[in-house]
Amino acid sequence: MRLPFKTIPAGLGASLLWTAMAQAQSATPAPENATFEVEQVFAGTCGFCHSDGGRAPGKGPQLMNSPRDDDFIRSRIKHGKQGAMPAFEGAFTDAQIDQVIKYIRALKPRDG
Amino acid sequence: MRKQWLNSGLPVLAVAAFAASAALAQTVDTSRIEAAGQNDWLTYHGSYKSHHYSPLAQINASNVGNLGVAWMHIPGRSTRGLQSMPLVADGVLYYTGSYSRVFALNGATGEVLWSFFPELDEALISRQTHSPYNRGVALGEGKVFVGTMDGRLFGLDAKTGKVLWETRLIDSQKLTVGFTGAPLYAKGSVIIGAQGGEWPGRGPIFAVDASTGKKKWEFLTVAGTDEAMKTWGNESWRTGGGGGWMPGTYDSETNTILWGTANPAPLYDWSGADYKTQGARPGDNLYTSSVIGLDIDTGKLKFYHQELPHDAWDFDSAVGEFVMLERDGQKYVVHPNKGGFVFVYDRNLGVKNVWRLVENINFVKDIDPKTGALIGRRDFSAGKVTEPPLCPFIGGGVSWNSGSYNPKTGLYYKIGQEWCMTLDVQKTTPVTTPQVQLNIGADFKMAPPPGGEIYGHLDARDPITGAKKWEVRYPEPPLGSVLSTAGNLVFVPDSRGVLHAYDAETGAELWKHNNGTGHQGGIVSYSVGGKQYIAVTAGFGGMLADEYAPNFGGVYKSMPRDDGALVVFSLK
Ligand code: HEC
Repeated sequence: MRLPFKTIPAGLGASLLWTAMAQAQSATPAPENATFEVEQVFAGTCGFCHSDGGRAPGKGPQLMNSPRDDDFIRSRIKHGKQGAMPAFEGAFTDAQIDQVIKYIRALKPRDG
Repeated sequence: MRKQWLNSGLPVLAVAAFAASAALAQTVDTSRIEAAGQNDWLTYHGSYKSHHYSPLAQINASNVGNLGVAWMHIPGRSTRGLQSMPLVADGVLYYTGSYSRVFALNGATGEVLWSFFPELDEALISRQTHSPYNRGVALGEGKVFVGTMDGRLFGLDAKTGKVLWETRLIDSQKLTVGFTGAPLYAKGSVIIGAQGGEWPGRGPIFAVDASTGKKKWEFLTVAGTDEAMKTWGNESWRTGGGGGWMPGTYDSETNTILWGTANPAPLYDWSGADYKTQGARPGDNLYTSSVIGLDIDTGKLKFYHQELPHDAWDFDSAVGEFVMLERDGQKYVVHPNKGGFVFVYDRNLGVKNVWRLVENINFVKDIDPKTGALIGRRDFSAGKVTEPPLCPFIGGGVSWNSGSYNPKTGLYYKIGQEWCMTLDVQKTTPVTTPQVQLNIGADFKMAPPPGGEIYGHLDARDPITGAKKWEVRYPEPPLGSVLSTAGNLVFVPDSRGVLHAYDAETGAELWKHNNGTGHQGGIVSYSVGGKQYIAVTAGFGGMLADEYAPNFGGVYKSMPRDDGALVVFSLK
């Protein structure tokens, strides 16, 4: 299932001027309907701060066995916390965030 | 009675002296930065020679015991601490806090002359990781230049802080990254490099006309030439990373900007040994993890050395120090790499030597000191890396802050970091819509070196041969810059919050002072009205500092990561 983007950042539409610049400096978009693999997302972004795939504290707290409820976690992922954790509201759909929460709840210590 | 008279008289004297020096103020230009007059600190690295050295000797090894706080300044809103290198010209100290807040202060008293708080795109900043800290300004032509997290460069009137021009250089809405590093002023241009690395993009470095703010040129550190384009298989250059987020320097003899570039994305690759054809970004990935020489007028690449071809470990070359020195008629440039090796080049970036600053290195067996070629690379496949853990840790064998070269002792004082990491390399896909996202490529965790403990060290070394004269150890790696002076002193602001002064010849500790919070920014010395000052930024937090509380506990558990102060010392 493909959900539409929730947020289009303010100013992006207006900045036609940017198109050329963005093309020079970046990046053609990845396919929008690329499959969402939580492990990939975690190793791509979250794991930078939540160590060992969320099993240990790093720049961010340990996520395994988090005492926080789902609403708190959902809100933290969406809105982040400035100077601590980035906001992912524009990056993930609600359904995708639910998958991330599932991943966090299923985290177990690594064996061995 | 007499004492009272002296006390009340002092401010008047100071003001008079300040007015006199301000009246003598000339504009800061290329030749003045080159000459590096002893009273000032005109550019990030002290001068274009990047010595981070002060020829002042009023504060020296015999009287440093009398050093005390002269004044302080609290910038406020110090999210992720303070990371800036103060600059000083004609008695005025300029520095930045988080969110690119710029302050101009009377260098003798700390009185605020003006401040500038740019209005930033807070929603954008809330999506960023390496943010909202700022590492400083550049001075030139009566202006102060500062970059912002949302991709702009400002030219401010140095006397009033008024905005003279503002130029948007990066489409940060799309690329998510902006500027945190200080710009470099030289020959009528302001040079500044974008963030990048694990952020997919093409890592531009810009030159802007200092008087008008007009963009002069842009060099893409990812596939910026046809030759480089061939070193990114499967069009991986589109999301290559790179960037040059610390200021490099200017070599007037060759009319060249020397700059260090950041790592490619994803930061870790799963190619295995066959990295030229396999994995996320097959090939050498030019010009990431390289040192490059650009013509200052045109931005054309003149020469380069890729310190780590196909960097698969995030041990990039973004460190901005290019220490220039001469020995036996030979001119050298010394550049530390994040992996813990120090490269010695000629002025055209031809390799002359490579030496090890750090003990715990195993991402390669060695680097050939004659050619700079990597020997015995460790290229990972997807999966766990534990035996042995990868050394150094992602924080590097050296961090981005600067060491100091002291021409009087002939020694290079540099912090080394001994730590390692376990990791689990995973295949990732770069995300570029609706906005670019981080692309790391592994889950990881800090680990002690095999059979040892984590620690940091200040080394006093011969900059060319690497021969070690002495070493001081710290239980946790210090993250701030180092200052040495003609007063036979070396200053090290450590992570616990203590500023140390050592004898530059022997390493004996002569003085220390607790600034109350960890350091991870700049330290400089300057003189106003005949009096020498030492200025250091204190304030912890950020990509490396945030790892300290969970890994080291102790004083870091309660250390704020949203606070900071500029602390300035003089003799009592
Ligand atoms: C730049 C570092 C960074 C990145 C990247 C990051 N986080 Fe965080 N995260 C943090 C920090 C720091 C906190 C603690 C915030 C606070 O002070 O409450 C946190 C908190 C959280 C929490 C709440 C945990 C708790 O006990 O309070 C969750 C859940 C979380 N992060 C999930 C994620 C996910 C999922 C991702 C990737 C999509 C991610 N984070 C990416 C740094 C990061």
